[in-house]
Amino acid sequence: MELEALQEINPAVEKLGARLVVLTPELERYTRALHRKLNLTFDILTDLHNETAKQFGLVFELPDYLRELYKSFGSTLDRFNDEPQYRLPMPARYVIDQEGIIRAADVNADYTIRTEPSETLSVLKSIAVAK
Amino acid sequence: MAELQDRLDEFKKTFESGAPPYNAPREKIEMMHRATAELKASGAEGRALKVGQRAPSFTLFNQDHVEANSAELLRQGPLVVSFFRGHW
Repeated sequence: MELEALQEINPAVEKLGARLVVLTPELERYTRALHRKLNLTFDILTDLHNETAKQFGLVFELPDYLRELYKSFGSTLDRFNDEPQYRLPMPARYVIDQEGIIRAADVNADYTIRTEPSETLSVLKSIAVAK
Repeated sequence: MAELQDRLDEFKKTFESGAPPYNAPREKIEMMHRATAELKASGAEGRALKVGQRAPSFTLFNQDHVEANSAELLRQGPLVVSFFRGHW
């Protein structure tokens, strides 16, 4: 759902001279299928073993009881992510300016909560104005 | 088009109702709530990078196995980086 919502704002993001990328620990064979299915015009980058997410301080390990639960739903991280340790990134959206400084950081441990893409657009507009 | 959070809330309501097509059992929903509460309580959010800090650079492969580099993207303009956990 978030990917579709990001796709809706991507033309406006690009109009502002900015770029949008999605990072996921999922392997390329899965990101390729997803990218095609949703007709995305931004890249999905495979952050293998969460190496970049780790540097952003976003990685956590799923508790044992949840591993079993997701397995029962047919989802296993070792298959999708080559991730036997069952680590995942917290959902997060960052806006980074051209100097490499973080201008917006939306991180939520509750994966059912997301920042509205329109708020991300507002941040990009404020960066464009300040220039 | 509804706001993203409205759409997520709607999905959550359907899923947690235990009704088809998901038929999620109550005890499993409670486990998911417990895990989220524990992660919140662990203070994990506070350990993530914040506004004003320097973003780490990265070079990663996209869905077509083409390399993308954050420094190169930032030369073109500001960058939105969204972390997505995938099928989870």
